[in-house]
Amino acid sequence: MLFLAMAWRNVWRHRRRSLLTVATIALGLAFNIFMRGIGDGFHEQMVDNSVQAHIGHLQVHRDGYHDDPGINKTIPELERVETAISGLTGVRGYSVRVLGDGLASTAANSAGVGIAGVDPGRERSVTTIHRAVVAGSYLGPEDSQSILIGERLAKLLQVELGENLVLLVQAADGSMGGEKYRITGIFRSGSPDLDRGVVYLLRQDAESLFALAGRATEAAVLLNSSQDVDRVHAELERSLAGTGVEVLPWYVVEPYIQQFIDLDDAFFYVIVLILFIVISVGILNTILMSIFERVREFGVMMSLGMKPRQVVRLVVMEAALLGLVGALVGAALGSAITLYYASVGMDFASWAEGAAALGMTTTVAYPKLTAANLVVSNISVLFVVMLVALYPAVHAARLRPVEAIRHV
Amino acid sequence: MALVEIEHVWKTYRDHVDVHALQDVSMELNRGEFAAVVGPSGSGKTTLLNMVGALDRPDRGAIRIGELELTATPSDQLADFRLQHLGFIFQSFNLFPVLTVIENLEFVPALQRVSKKDRREKAHDLLRAVGMADLAGKRPSELSGGQQQRAAVLRAILTEPDLVLADEPTANLDSTNAGRLLDMMEQLNRDKGITFLFSTHDPQVMERARKLVRLKDGKVA
Repeated sequence: MLFLAMAWRNVWRHRRRSLLTVATIALGLAFNIFMRGIGDGFHEQMVDNSVQAHIGHLQVHRDGYHDDPGINKTIPELERVETAISGLTGVRGYSVRVLGDGLASTAANSAGVGIAGVDPGRERSVTTIHRAVVAGSYLGPEDSQSILIGERLAKLLQVELGENLVLLVQAADGSMGGEKYRITGIFRSGSPDLDRGVVYLLRQDAESLFALAGRATEAAVLLNSSQDVDRVHAELERSLAGTGVEVLPWYVVEPYIQQFIDLDDAFFYVIVLILFIVISVGILNTILMSIFERVREFGVMMSLGMKPRQVVRLVVMEAALLGLVGALVGAALGSAITLYYASVGMDFASWAEGAAALGMTTTVAYPKLTAANLVVSNISVLFVVMLVALYPAVHAARLRPVEAIRHV
Repeated sequence: MALVEIEHVWKTYRDHVDVHALQDVSMELNRGEFAAVVGPSGSGKTTLLNMVGALDRPDRGAIRIGELELTATPSDQLADFRLQHLGFIFQSFNLFPVLTVIENLEFVPALQRVSKKDRREKAHDLLRAVGMADLAGKRPSELSGGQQQRAAVLRAILTEPDLVLADEPTANLDSTNAGRLLDMMEQLNRDKGITFLFSTHDPQVMERARKLVRLKDGKVA
């Protein structure tokens, strides 16, 4: 305790210099926590947006569908799959879909589209597409021969609500299928892929269009929490083993999202590294000055019997205390800023186009403060401070007491 | 058997020119002595004290304190030896400015891992014994030079070392304070049997020392 008290008082011998160093550490840490918070919040929103726009946290298909999709690759033992999904804990909802490709045509134009045959009630429990309807209404269970299309597609095909659209497809039996549908809803999800390239109709209409009576190509599952993905994925894979289906988490279905997150994290770590180097130089300067001013004291300590490793410990302890104060202030400041923006949001409207390409359907980002962020940031700063202190500490420990006690 | 045995010790500092700080110095110091190494500036007094204090090594010769041959002992063990067996008093007091008087006294026993309760009790007793109890909570900057040096003496003797080395302890004190300091050290020497070895050119110290070793140009005169 005596040496701890000594270290603490040594830290505050030059109050202004120590306060400046504490401020450097605190601001660096606060910046780190805030930037990490923005990253965490942005990534989570991006995942949630993508997951809830269409893909779900997990998808179940016939084996091999993901690598080479086809209308013939329907889910075997569909009832067993549905029963297995329903029995899992952490599942918010699931939607069985008939997915295929086709040509959407109007008198004015035509375009290739993805066709999603859904049960509107179930789809509502998985995706947010029902909330994205900007004209007309979402599909109802009785809305046979109705179709919901994206705003961009409507523009491309030059159609409006209430007008008709024809879908041409190659059915599962190899025949050409074609049906006319009435546009009962137009949506704007914010995702260019969905708004331009996917249409929704009732599952029974899609079954009829693709000649797939009672069959489906995909079951999309939404969980209560993204944290449960790996657990539920493993459980579902176990319970469906041997049925000839593949169970895929969102990051396999849409790997570019995870790749973007990894790349973004890598950039963040480079920034943090540069930041830590700058902080380190400041801390090194403070500790070195403090050592040079106390050469005689170290000489006296060693004359009295303090061993070099105890000198190292004392100097590192001083640095750790300096770092601890900086970390506490920085953590409080960083948390406060992050929590503030987590409640009011940060408007990135000017980046909306780019964000939409990454699956963001909102222009307001909400930073997220996580325990992992706080713990990792604080430990990193303390570790860096103590690491930086090692050089001056070893320098002090190598002083020759006989020379140091004569130092002026 | 003598507490300190110095045999044919040589020390040369090599810079632009060689300075022969000690040349074939031999001396002995018995337990309980109150001795002083005296001589003019540059005569090698401090060098000799540094050698005896295991802070520096001779080029040639041997120094033995008790059973330990210092010249053959690794540095880390010498630090431990200083901690357990030696006490130091410096010319310019050298109390730790961030510690109070009592904490300065506790520094050495804390290094020796004496419990806080024991070392504090001992430090209090000692301060009381020399009439300095009221200074226990003060920082060195709040003390006079004489008070600081007396506190430094108490720091040196609190753990009752075999030998206390005092390098010009009265050099920064007026004669009154120097006298009081010497009174205290004599009392500690008498009451606790602590051996003192001074380097000095203060006549007051020379008068009180019961053994004098005179150095001139690095040689015993």
